[in-house]
Amino acid sequence: MKKGFKLIMAGLLATSLLSACGNNKASEGAAAGTVKIEFFQNKSEAKASFDKLIAKFNEANPNIKVSQVNPPDAETVLKTRVAKKDIPDVVGLGATDTFSTLAKSGLFEDFSQDPLIANIQPAYLDMLKRMTGLTEINGIPFSTNANGVIYNKAIFKELNLTIPKTWDEFIAVAQKVKDSGKNAFYLTLKDAWTTLPAFNALESNVVGLDFFKERAQGTVTFKDTYREVAEKQLKLLDYAQKDMYGKGYNDGNTAFAKGESAMYLQGVWAIPEIQKANPDIDLGVFPFPGTNDPAKNKLVSGVDTLLTVAKSSKHKEEAKKFVDFLLQPDNVKQYISEQKSFSAVTGVTQDDASVADLKESLESGNLVDFADHYIPAAMKVETIFQDFMQKKDINAYLTKLDTEWDKVANRK
Amino acid sequence: MAKRRTAFYLMTIPALLLFFAFHTYPALQGIFYSFTNWDGFSSSYDFVGFKNFVNIFQDDNVINSYMFTFKYSIVVTIFINILSLMIALGLNSKIKFKNFFRGVYFLPNILSVLIVGFIFNYLFSNVFTVWGAKLGSEFLSQNILGNANWAWVGIVIVAVWQGIAFNTILYLAGLQTIPQDLYEASSLDGASRWREFWSITFPLLAPSFTINMVLAMKGALMVFDQVVALTGGGPGRSTQSIALLIYTGGFQGGEFAYQSANAVIYFIVIVVISVLQLKFLQKREMDL
Repeated sequence: MKKGFKLIMAGLLATSLLSACGNNKASEGAAAGTVKIEFFQNKSEAKASFDKLIAKFNEANPNIKVSQVNPPDAETVLKTRVAKKDIPDVVGLGATDTFSTLAKSGLFEDFSQDPLIANIQPAYLDMLKRMTGLTEINGIPFSTNANGVIYNKAIFKELNLTIPKTWDEFIAVAQKVKDSGKNAFYLTLKDAWTTLPAFNALESNVVGLDFFKERAQGTVTFKDTYREVAEKQLKLLDYAQKDMYGKGYNDGNTAFAKGESAMYLQGVWAIPEIQKANPDIDLGVFPFPGTNDPAKNKLVSGVDTLLTVAKSSKHKEEAKKFVDFLLQPDNVKQYISEQKSFSAVTGVTQDDASVADLKESLESGNLVDFADHYIPAAMKVETIFQDFMQKKDINAYLTKLDTEWDKVANRK
Repeated sequence: MAKRRTAFYLMTIPALLLFFAFHTYPALQGIFYSFTNWDGFSSSYDFVGFKNFVNIFQDDNVINSYMFTFKYSIVVTIFINILSLMIALGLNSKIKFKNFFRGVYFLPNILSVLIVGFIFNYLFSNVFTVWGAKLGSEFLSQNILGNANWAWVGIVIVAVWQGIAFNTILYLAGLQTIPQDLYEASSLDGASRWREFWSITFPLLAPSFTINMVLAMKGALMVFDQVVALTGGGPGRSTQSIALLIYTGGFQGGEFAYQSANAVIYFIVIVVISVLQLKFLQKREMDL
């Protein structure tokens, strides 16, 4: 009897050690008398910009304390936390497949009746609805981005080049740069995801986003539809620097900043990083011309960051107050001018000279969403692109896209 | 006697409880989920029987990651053991600054794998390529990690560089248990250094050899952090280890249950390999 008692005591002791840690944390928050809100967001580039806005908010609202969490590989971290049922109060995410799967599992508040969305551009709200396929609106678009071709204005001037409007002109420009002995593109194929900007522009302009819906129904295949995309993806490699497979995103930003290439196939999110490496660089961005019909070449633009509140949050009111604060026009303005992104809130414009070439497309609404967001994340499609860039076998590549798509669909 | 036994129980039970709560229980949960279609975050799921397991065997990404992991593990295990045994022999002989060198060779072990990985990632991309270009070699002037056929060698280099440290210490400890009089006797018999190594040192190191082989192999089979820091599994899927596939597919890809099934299979594979290794190598110890 006595022995059994001792055993239980030992067990209790061990577990009480653990629970003690848990309790301490909780009481700490309550003692301070403020509501703590966790703001989880996925853009490492935007950490400092959000910190500034949070400081402003915390100062104006002494009874609420927002803290930012921005881990590396944030989408995966978020999914693991969701698996643990520990969802941050406010989440800032791109409109990616991660967002739409989480939204579909009903984790986020529905904003479709909420006054918070009153000032958001309807085009971006529609984009979210189309992505998730839900009638609810589970996120509020905050900032938007665009991907295209970042170019070095000094090199363009030196070689007397103009902004290309069609695919043929684009390749002609690249050829001229190559003939002058410079690199036309700086490709960073070591990081698989950097193959996406070029793919997105080609996919949505050459094929179109409806393809994915038809592919899901089984009426089309990659093999029949994607040959032109594949050929153009390969063509770009002819004009890149020597060690393109060995360089990553960070190498690319630095190299482009140092003028090692005339063009850089990236999104506007890379601009702050490039300017960090060389503050004096004179750069611009133009839409990626995927086809030979200038009217068909739409700018790839999507929701860069959307804000949403967890259904499970204990402090929804405070969380929404913070979201409302971020959506105030002057705060959005401050954020987008630091991030060189665009506003999803109506009436706030991006006036930076580097993105002036995109203004026309953005204002006319000649936009198309990111194609890769429509491909199931389980396919890891960027690794298929990266593999294709090395092996350069178009038939094997197209077959692989089809088999991987079917495999993932069958596992559902 | 009974009192002493109680004391032993008291010492082991807390550890047992912690182990069960943080290791055994999650492992059992994983086995449970492998029979469902849970995506990792939804509030509901269905049982699908053995469907996940059937699909695993038809997935060439899984087969590909097994190929990489085994190729990598075998090469890493061999190199770590050869090199660390050589270093241990050197550090056990009568050389100057012996303790200093022992410290230096142990250093890699106390550095974080990720930090070492990121440093080497930079070196492979920006330093080794410059050296290669100076040597005038087309192949060496390119980042080896960006080459689908050779990226795995880059990971092997980093893993061996770091893995040697720990195994050297184990060999060193083993070497010090060999009685000196055996060496005196062999030198009286006029045995050569080479003969001495194969007839005395190596057989008497058998227990250290066993544990080093098993530990190195087990560590290499679970390779994850080195790959994340160096290639992220790329180019393509050429350096995707099984652990990395389970993690990325399970969490990024939203196929938690499917990759749990993969993990269950892999668990069985590792158990089988470890048991076989121990059986085979321990038999060798007995024979002496």
